[in-house]
Amino acid sequence: MTRSGSGSLPRYILQRVLLVIPMIWVILTLVFVVLRVAPGDPVSAAMGGKLNDEALDQRREALGFNEPLLAQYWDYLSSVARFDFGTTFSDNQQVLHVVRDNGGATLSLTIVSFLIALLIGIPLGMIAGRYRDSVPDAFIRLFGILTYAAPIFFVGFLLQAYVAGPLGLPTSGMASPITVFSVEPKTHILLIDVFLSGDGAAIEDVLKHLILPSITLGLLICGVFIRLVRVNILQTMHADYVEAAEARGISRGKVTRRHAFRNALVPVITVVGLQFALLLGGAVLTESTFNWPGLGEKLVDYINDRDYGAVQGIITIFAIAVVLISLLVDIVNALIDPRVRY
Amino acid sequence: MKRKLFALLGAGTLAVSLAACGDDSGGGGGTEGGSGESWILGTTDTVTAMDPAGSYDLGSSTLDYSVYQTLVTVPAGSNDIVGDAAEECTYDDPQTLTCTLKEGLKFSNGNELTSSDVKYSFERSIAIQDPNGAAIYLLGSITDTDKKGVVTLNEGAIETPDDTTVIFHLDQPDTTFQYVLTYPGAGAIVDEETFPAEEKLADEEVVGSGPYKLSQYKAGEQAVLELNEEYTGDKTGGAAQIFIQYFSEASALKLAVENGEVDVAWRSLSPTDITDLEGNDELTVATGEGAEIRYWVWRADSGVGKDVAVRQAAAQVFDREAIAQNAYDGTVDPLYSIVPPGYAGQKDSFQETYGDPDPAAAEQILKDAGVKTPVPLTVGWTPTHYGPNAEDEANEVERQLEESGLFDVTLKSAEWEQYQTVYKEGAYDLWMLGWFPDYPDADTYLSPFMVDGGFFQNGYSNPEANELVDAEQGTSDQAEREEAIGQLQDLAATDVPFIPSWVGKNIAIYGEGMEGIEDTLDPSFIFRFWMVTKNG
Repeated sequence: MTRSGSGSLPRYILQRVLLVIPMIWVILTLVFVVLRVAPGDPVSAAMGGKLNDEALDQRREALGFNEPLLAQYWDYLSSVARFDFGTTFSDNQQVLHVVRDNGGATLSLTIVSFLIALLIGIPLGMIAGRYRDSVPDAFIRLFGILTYAAPIFFVGFLLQAYVAGPLGLPTSGMASPITVFSVEPKTHILLIDVFLSGDGAAIEDVLKHLILPSITLGLLICGVFIRLVRVNILQTMHADYVEAAEARGISRGKVTRRHAFRNALVPVITVVGLQFALLLGGAVLTESTFNWPGLGEKLVDYINDRDYGAVQGIITIFAIAVVLISLLVDIVNALIDPRVRY
Repeated sequence: MKRKLFALLGAGTLAVSLAACGDDSGGGGGTEGGSGESWILGTTDTVTAMDPAGSYDLGSSTLDYSVYQTLVTVPAGSNDIVGDAAEECTYDDPQTLTCTLKEGLKFSNGNELTSSDVKYSFERSIAIQDPNGAAIYLLGSITDTDKKGVVTLNEGAIETPDDTTVIFHLDQPDTTFQYVLTYPGAGAIVDEETFPAEEKLADEEVVGSGPYKLSQYKAGEQAVLELNEEYTGDKTGGAAQIFIQYFSEASALKLAVENGEVDVAWRSLSPTDITDLEGNDELTVATGEGAEIRYWVWRADSGVGKDVAVRQAAAQVFDREAIAQNAYDGTVDPLYSIVPPGYAGQKDSFQETYGDPDPAAAEQILKDAGVKTPVPLTVGWTPTHYGPNAEDEANEVERQLEESGLFDVTLKSAEWEQYQTVYKEGAYDLWMLGWFPDYPDADTYLSPFMVDGGFFQNGYSNPEANELVDAEQGTSDQAEREEAIGQLQDLAATDVPFIPSWVGKNIAIYGEGMEGIEDTLDPSFIFRFWMVTKNG
């Protein structure tokens, strides 16, 4: 194969970038179709128990819901292409503003949760791999399975019921009302804005609110990291270079620390990006449990209200985020491991 | 790698350490200019729009009542209407309502409020015709709707001879119009220099002349009310700053009030949660009369419900006490008329007509009508729209009807979206619905239900009902109105186009130091922020 063949990194990146467009189109189309196939519309969801059929129809007409589906579909795609996501029906907000205001909350939650997952998952995975089939290994494996399998709302409830009280931690929202009111929204990400404000009490307040939701969400994916790191450690420990190092008289502990751990983490990087989608899914449930004003919670509300415009806008942005992160992971993968380009 | 790990661990430790130290920073803290401390209300209600032209929901009107003035309003614990922006509104005749504005009214931005603003407010609400708005639905007496559904204000419907006088010329005798004016979704007064004529104003930019101004609004998260220094009316005495926090889950709201993260939880905790909180010594569960009702509608023009005897027999065995206790833990009251207690002209017609639940009497009704028993009955309900206890109520109704030995019930459910379609198509003989009043008058429970099959289109039609509705709407003689309202309720008990089930209570749960909550819990469901304070 020549350098200009399929093994070329620029060509690989170009292919992946071009694939993003049909992927997003498919997702947009699916969102549009699913919302129209599902029974109901925003008018009947809001006014169905109040107005007669004639009045409901008048309102549907006014909102363009009686337009042919193809016309609605074209409007939707062309608006998205112009980055115009319209206005929500149910609460009169610009969809882009919803994403801006609530996306920051979701981003803060997912990033901190991710860090917590790494902080818990990687060390535990290393210990489990290093001391295979020992009592700690058994406990850590069990812990990993439990955190991955336990429903988020259940973990959240346990933390709210048994941890929040003794530690004096809040159980809802991302800050107390006075903090939300007083901190100037410079970036629309409260976690950043509060540090920019330099208000110590507000910083403490925001961090306290962040603890339980981020632990709840972080636990969900730390189980994945535990199992992944453990398996990679085990594989690495049996690699030829490890055995060779041991044969040269280097202690097992030193070999593990200096060689096995580092190499075992390489595959984890490739999985990290993929966990982001799982995190976004988990964020929906975490936000509902902790009344966290993020995009996930808004999405659930808008789905219940059959708010087409809002749901389409938010899912589109979710989808674009996941697709772009997948793209980034693929590119990093290709850089680290040339085999994936072929 | 090690350094990075230590850095991350350090950040985590810092966060946990910060959590362990320091006190609980709620929204409290003294503020100047008002009574007591600032306080936090938690609610699961949602706000559709802060511009009154775009809302027809309780979440929006809860804020609107404090931010805007209407011409007239409803004082706590009363159904009489009194002046708000107006000194008074009086009917010159049943088609002409004249309102005189108070002197010196101003919006919170300092602009003067005149009759021109009042006229403008109605004109723009109708011109905008927002699908979520109430104006085009509630202001029928001053509007006309063409074949395409476009609503226009009648020419000359609103007259403003001077800065303080507004005259409404109604296209039919309608004494309920004065009650409609109390509802902000239809009658809030906005500043014509601030609100655009043909589109809604952004939520965070709204300006009113009520006792509070909206200082912050973050959709789905929180609203902040602060005293309006330009306000000169009677709604005074509240805190200088009030936070309203929005919750999407009732369980989160319950936890928040238990932990003291909110001072008051108002709408809507489940009956189980309320019962649980009643046992909490640090909280008070305050209960006032409510106005939200549940009722069961008959398909009256086809199926077994076409026979009035079947409808009457079911009404005869309906045990509302059992429904309230078994399905709602006693957090609702039995309802014996489609109009709940507290409204002028209300009477317990179903109680008077049927007395206590009596299967033997029901059997006699069916026997006299020659109806073969057991009567097969398809009963419909919807699982989420009316809360988790709707299923318990449906099961209780099924049990009661089956145990009478007179009915063979098939229970069916559908999600709300589908439910609304299928009940109109005749999928059920009897189905559950709920209602929330638009304005503080018995008419809001009668005209939408009794005229030509009601908004739910159940096929019931009785010219006598239509005439009685016209009569009660068309007279300003209160005794005459109440007579007609009473007759309508009696007619409902005789014809049984629906069976009233229960009326909810207006419940708030609050922590220590809160005062004035009980005073605002009445059937109007207006949460009067200016009456509530927090001390200590």
